[in-house]
Amino acid sequence: MKTPQEQTLHTRREFLRTSFLGGALASTVPLFLEKTFLTLDSMAAATTGQYATGKDSTILVVLQMAGGNDGLNMLVPYGDDAYYKARPRIAIPSNSVLKINDYAGLHPKLTGLRDLYGSGSLGLIQGVGYPNPNRSHFRSTEIWQTASDSGHNESVGWIGRYFDSCCKGSDPSVGVSIGGQTPQAFASPHPKGIAFSDPSQFRYMSEAASNPKMAEQFMREMNSPNENMGHGGLADNSGGSIGMISGSPDTAGDTLDFLQRTALGAEMSSDKILEIIRKSRSSVDYPRSQLGNSLNLVGRLIQGGLPTRVYYASQGGFDTHANQLPSHDRLMTDLNAALTSFVGDLKAQGNYDRVLVLTFSEFGRRVAENASGGTDHGAAAPLFVLGGAVKPGLYGTYPSLTDLYEGDLKFHTDFRSVYATALEKWLGAPSEQVLGRKYPILPFI
Amino acid sequence: MLLPLPEKLWNRYAAAHLLNRAGFGGTPAEIEALYSRGMDGAVEHLLNAPNDEDLFPRPPMMEPAKRVEYQKHLKNAPTEEERVKVRKAFFSDERAEILALRLWWLNRMRYTTDPLLEKVTLFWHGHFATSNQKVNDPYLMWLQNETLRQHALGKFPVMLKAMSQDPAMIRWLDLNQSSKQHPNENFAREVMELFSLGEGHYSEMDVTEAARAFTGYRVTPETAAFHMVPNAHDSGMKTFLGKTGAFTGDQILDLIVLQPQCARFIGKRLWQFFVAESPNDETISEVADILMNNGYDVAKTLRVIFRSSLFYSQAVVHHQIKGPVQWMIQTTRMLEIPLPDAKVLENSMTALGQVLFAPPNVKGWDGGRAWISASSLLYRYNLAAYLLSGKAHILGGGGTKTAQLPLENIAPPSTRESCNLLLEPLAFRIFNVPISTRDFATYMNYINKQTPPYSDNAVRDLMQIMMGTPEFQLN
Repeated sequence: MKTPQEQTLHTRREFLRTSFLGGALASTVPLFLEKTFLTLDSMAAATTGQYATGKDSTILVVLQMAGGNDGLNMLVPYGDDAYYKARPRIAIPSNSVLKINDYAGLHPKLTGLRDLYGSGSLGLIQGVGYPNPNRSHFRSTEIWQTASDSGHNESVGWIGRYFDSCCKGSDPSVGVSIGGQTPQAFASPHPKGIAFSDPSQFRYMSEAASNPKMAEQFMREMNSPNENMGHGGLADNSGGSIGMISGSPDTAGDTLDFLQRTALGAEMSSDKILEIIRKSRSSVDYPRSQLGNSLNLVGRLIQGGLPTRVYYASQGGFDTHANQLPSHDRLMTDLNAALTSFVGDLKAQGNYDRVLVLTFSEFGRRVAENASGGTDHGAAAPLFVLGGAVKPGLYGTYPSLTDLYEGDLKFHTDFRSVYATALEKWLGAPSEQVLGRKYPILPFI
Repeated sequence: MLLPLPEKLWNRYAAAHLLNRAGFGGTPAEIEALYSRGMDGAVEHLLNAPNDEDLFPRPPMMEPAKRVEYQKHLKNAPTEEERVKVRKAFFSDERAEILALRLWWLNRMRYTTDPLLEKVTLFWHGHFATSNQKVNDPYLMWLQNETLRQHALGKFPVMLKAMSQDPAMIRWLDLNQSSKQHPNENFAREVMELFSLGEGHYSEMDVTEAARAFTGYRVTPETAAFHMVPNAHDSGMKTFLGKTGAFTGDQILDLIVLQPQCARFIGKRLWQFFVAESPNDETISEVADILMNNGYDVAKTLRVIFRSSLFYSQAVVHHQIKGPVQWMIQTTRMLEIPLPDAKVLENSMTALGQVLFAPPNVKGWDGGRAWISASSLLYRYNLAAYLLSGKAHILGGGGTKTAQLPLENIAPPSTRESCNLLLEPLAFRIFNVPISTRDFATYMNYINKQTPPYSDNAVRDLMQIMMGTPEFQLN
């Protein structure tokens, strides 16, 4: 019986031999592969526990609602007079709320999510936030992305720390973010995860050359690890002059070797992603919005068996300072349609039970509406957890609309409890190691 | 020991290395010119380069007084629609201004006559990492950039004080909200943790006490000038780093720079940026001594570093991963082409992870291996292919054709006749170091599939292959 590491190693070797480097270079493969696999092997061996990949294991999809989603109009406390008093112009009328209980209900556009709540796979976590909330988009987003305390500046992302501590030796595609920029949540001293807005762009664009085929072939050859690099310093061709001076050794390990491993990983992931995109078609229709396209892509990559454990997608436009009703309506419509399609897609694939969607926004909004028919930056807000394995229900309690902190809702559930639960109960990761502290586990899984 | 490099070891590779690390690289002709000055002459030339201020007038930006006016205008808007309209126009102006400011600095780095000054300014921008994402005022960001440039090669204690009174910094680390009644610890903590001493070299009480000393720092909106509000300042006794007194903010900074640890911290940061990521203890002590003995004079310290044989050693040369800004400036200088158009430039710097005036957080850019992910590495390869080919679709999402590559300079007709004539100078231009035997053989293999005299396309394709490599990411 093979260990998971051996299994992975075997698969990788097969993969490389068969698909990564085509015919012309096959003769050079065995030479450099051994070295690479020794490295990969030792990295894999260093990790304890199972080396799981998103091909057959659980997958987390993080959905960022950027700009500060108005949680009060998403999960509406329609049973509270204080809500209607604070928002004479922009409150959702109680008769249009999709009621969940006699106090709260969903935004009227969230019909699909209401059905998912009814059919048992949507959890609503109320009053999520953190102590000493910050009302800057930038800073509060950073706090959510790094899972740091409000008063502490941290640069490593919470998912980056998860990759670091639990996914050593994995493919770069262990994390995939749909968008032009890698989210700070993925940040790490040893960055893992890839980011692209268009998968067809995540490849070497050899057609820039006048002879693309040859450029591609040589590019791959130049990016394959080899023995005896003999680079560096000014020694080689300069008559030994400067190279004679010995410096301190490169204690951080060989930088060139690191770059070569990254290049190899990039090519492997790129080949795999392009193959999946070529083959796969969604069986359901997604809305033609940015979020719809992103989740469509995530759906196809999951179906194609990419070894990704964390996907990251985002929806923008939540900073509704003025004339909020129509714009928030559109956002809710889009969110509802995209998530409903995604769920339908995953169900059709038979993958719904191994996917958990977790939404977040950097903050909720002020309880009272402003003079422009909008809302200003606030604090605590509800978030969604969605997936085949989610225990449906309302978690936590709705924060009081009258006992406020500087005009904002007080949080009851620390957002890091939500992260800790996703890590422990879903990804099987030691949350204390990743988050630096023990947080209460919530019962939504 | 930071002994100087013996003059007889000074060669073209060494000159190229100096130009890459102390500046943003250059063409073979520029390397040759620097080489011909000899090592001491080259270092002095970089340290005393001609001022370029007149060449780069600041981009148009809303002056502080006009910003105050706008705010009044917004307040007095007769209708809600009017208010929304004014605000919208303002945000769009602000967005255009920060983009223009970024472009302005990148062009300054690209065309400056004083590359060391721009390089050191970039170092300080990463050190005192301030983001417009919170400051939200391009004028203040420009002002800070000028202050960083003004003190970049001067004395660190002067720079530190200037930064504590810098309007963008005051907003960035909440000093404007810090008062005697409610001292805010953000600046007090970071000034020690990130700007001067490093974690573990001060206590929590030092943070609390320093925060009291920095209360009352304010900025006059109409002029963006720093001033103290005596009523908001806590002038009481404080105990800081073992000393007691009615310290002001400046006095706190004086106490900080007296700490030998401060010199070690700054020395290490300089070494990591200009030389190597993991200096040994002995080297840091030596650099710290130079700083201490010269009143933290940055130019004097860099002079010793750039002349040291350690700086030119095998473990240092071609072992640093180019940061995105470095990559972009150095590549366009080397290729003798202008920067790509503003949109491509902005998208590229975002994808590569270094947007000027928007560091990810107060810690600045991690640098080193953190620059490189599977995505960013592939993006670098494709960006090189785009710059060489000018094919707009290579980076996706449009963009215009790049300027024509001056291939007649890069590979003159005389070099097109044989593979040896072509490869050596081309590899020197692109890599600045001798290439490995294996790489040499691969490139030869490529050229030998072509027929001399080699066409522009053949040369360009070869350059694309060379620049799509791990080796090209190194300085």
